Amino acid sequence: MNWLLKLLLKVRPNFEEGGRFRYFWAIYEATETILFSTDERTKSGPHIRDHLDIKRVMILVVVALLPCYVFGMFNVGYQAALANGESRLWWENAFTGFKIILPIIIITFISGAFWEILFAVVRKHEISEGFLVTCALIPLIMPPTIPLWQVSVATTFGIVIGKEIFGGVGMNIFNPALVARAFIFFAYPGDISGDKVWILGPDGYSGATALAVPAATQNEQAIPLLNSVTQFDFSWINMFLGWIPGSVGETSKLMIIIGAIFLIITGIASWRVMVGAVIGLISTSFLTNILALYSTNSMLTIPPHYHLVMGSFAFGITFMATEPVTGAHTDTGRWIYGICIGVLTVIIRAINPAYPEGVMLAILLMNAFASLIDYFVVRSNIRNRMKRYAK
Amino acid sequence: MNITIKKGHDIQIAGVPSGEISKHSNLSSIALLPTEFRGVKPKLLVKEGDRVQIGVPLFFDKTNPEVKWASPGGGVINEIQFGPRRVLEKIGIDIDGQEESKSATKYSESDLDLLRRENVMETILSSHLMHLIRQRPFNKVADPKEKPRDIFISAINSAPLTVDLELVLKGSLKQFQAGITVLSKVTEGNVYLGVRPNSVLQEINNAVSVTIKGPHPSGNVGIQTHHIAPLNPGDVIWTVSAQDVVTLGKLFLTGRYDPSKVVTIGGPGVKNPMHVRTRTGVSMRSLLHEQLIDDPIRIISGDVLTGKEAHQTGYLGFYDSTVSVLPDTITREFINMLKPGNKKTRYSLSSAFMKIGNALFNFNTSQNGSHRAMVPISAWEKVLPMDIYPNALFRAILSNDIEEMEQLGIWECDDEDFALCSFACPSKIDVGSVIRMGLDLMEIDGQ
Repeated sequence: MNWLLKLLLKVRPNFEEGGRFRYFWAIYEATETILFSTDERTKSGPHIRDHLDIKRVMILVVVALLPCYVFGMFNVGYQAALANGESRLWWENAFTGFKIILPIIIITFISGAFWEILFAVVRKHEISEGFLVTCALIPLIMPPTIPLWQVSVATTFGIVIGKEIFGGVGMNIFNPALVARAFIFFAYPGDISGDKVWILGPDGYSGATALAVPAATQNEQAIPLLNSVTQFDFSWINMFLGWIPGSVGETSKLMIIIGAIFLIITGIASWRVMVGAVIGLISTSFLTNILALYSTNSMLTIPPHYHLVMGSFAFGITFMATEPVTGAHTDTGRWIYGICIGVLTVIIRAINPAYPEGVMLAILLMNAFASLIDYFVVRSNIRNRMKRYAK
Repeated sequence: MNITIKKGHDIQIAGVPSGEISKHSNLSSIALLPTEFRGVKPKLLVKEGDRVQIGVPLFFDKTNPEVKWASPGGGVINEIQFGPRRVLEKIGIDIDGQEESKSATKYSESDLDLLRRENVMETILSSHLMHLIRQRPFNKVADPKEKPRDIFISAINSAPLTVDLELVLKGSLKQFQAGITVLSKVTEGNVYLGVRPNSVLQEINNAVSVTIKGPHPSGNVGIQTHHIAPLNPGDVIWTVSAQDVVTLGKLFLTGRYDPSKVVTIGGPGVKNPMHVRTRTGVSMRSLLHEQLIDDPIRIISGDVLTGKEAHQTGYLGFYDSTVSVLPDTITREFINMLKPGNKKTRYSLSSAFMKIGNALFNFNTSQNGSHRAMVPISAWEKVLPMDIYPNALFRAILSNDIEEMEQLGIWECDDEDFALCSFACPSKIDVGSVIRMGLDLMEIDGQ
């Protein structure tokens, strides 16, 4: 690949200060450093450096998402076949899914790259790899029937409002992918919401999500209610494996666990946030199970192991809550942050009548509180030190 | 006392020095570099062409005139180099065949026990060796008027490619003991000696020996202090490097300054990595004679994490006992960020490259990525064995918030303890230099 490097270095002066295309330096720089490793040397500080850089960090998250993409492709096709009452071969399902997902991915990346590059050019910073992760996440949290213009608008909102206006990757307060989803969730509830699922099928074909089933009926036990649904198979194992309708990439908890293990082993995502969220979810749902005895709300009867596989909880805590910039920055803080996400998810699901699914709002809410949590963790460290100083 | 340190990392870098000490024979020129001594305003006492003995003062500190710098060699001053704004940068000495050295009072081992602080300080100052002792905070030459709370000595070198102190001290236990005894007279507190488990140095008297287990930076005196008795505002502690304790011991036992020390030559850019007994301030050219590989290289005086670049024409730093050599050629790999890699091709202390095996790694001077905004994936925290939040401290320093810096524990910090954070940082942020910035600010405004 030496010829390519030579070619790149040959056109480089055109993009440097004083060159014809100097305004497009960010684009050139991104191309060069994505294709070839950097030639920057250490100047100050340690003369040797670890090989892990932000590009690698971000690409590893994208790799962790691949199992969800592959499964999502099959499942979108499978659900469409099911809705049409047809029986198709696995590769036909995959092809149907592929045809649906590919345009969503393309639109997301085009809109995302456009804004990222525009901001990089105007504000004269380097194009950040962070948008790759944001753009890889967005298609996975969209229903397969989403109009493409909405994908574009959502991506724009997520990248611009969620990230760029704060100064780019590393300075944002809210997870840009979740901001994108929250935007269309509230702006176009007719096309994406937590209580209905849209499936590629006959016109206007939709159904209630697993979480919306117990939300709709009062004074019943959740599990029998779920088992009585004939349209979809809402058994625990089926929800775990992911053969249920939903957004493109969040249905299979198995694939998400594979991604989560990958992220934990590579040290990119914090296991403390994930474990904390699971602890918070399980303990709060135990509590709601007890409260269910005194209430007519069927949502309260959902047992903890069902909460884990229902809705987008698993996807949210694995790929959204662990986003390092918008989460808590201290290890103690990460425990608190995770636990609060778990607790809030159950509270929004079970007690708030407006939204059957709560993980998106729980994470966004905790994003807002993450700095406050860190503040108290750091303060307690300071308090201990002050006690020693006073002696 | 036993301390186990869990956080940190031993970098598996190739070019580990072999376990024998060879002797450096063709020692011809050495230099003292006054810019190394932080905060000192040097005033010359010699001029070019002067003939000097070992131990004769070369310059003194204008802010503290009793502190003078003994000549580490006997011969002729061949070069005095000034930098911009007439900063004294280098005093070069051509070594004579027969070096003479200035002598002072000598003591027998039993006499040492009877010494008092005044006697010890007087001998050290009149031998012009105060600069062997450094103080914390700020890691600068100790002020002889100050009474240190404690003295900390680390007999552990945990940084990559550094001298195996056990190997060196084994042969000079008597002098090491003498040095410790003398230092114990200077403080009203304790002399703490950090040693590895099962070390022969646990037998040393007049010091509290502390066994320390764990990866780098467990050998750093700052980390040991933090775990043994952390610094409070206003505290001053002294530290002496283990080989300089031997130098002090020899000074009291023989009455002469022995500027020799054991130095490692290591790193992927060296043909035969080894331990060498040579002289402080030795020239790189003579030390690295026939040792370098043919490719472009970077010579570092000090270890790869905290050393300074020293070029072939440079000299070994006064406090350094490691010379690291790194290849300076960088190959630009195609679609690097997508490639899998193991420990053989890409080195990472997180498992981001699915490490296999424990092979030593050929590091070069590549930054391995571009500078980016902070993305806190706990890379710093994993290698900093201190009860300090580096992230919060870093921000406090950048915003010049002195009060916050003090509350977050800047008094306990030194840039060398944060070098591993910079090594590990995926955003390629130089944490250590920011910590140094904070310390400089504290020194000016914080007291």
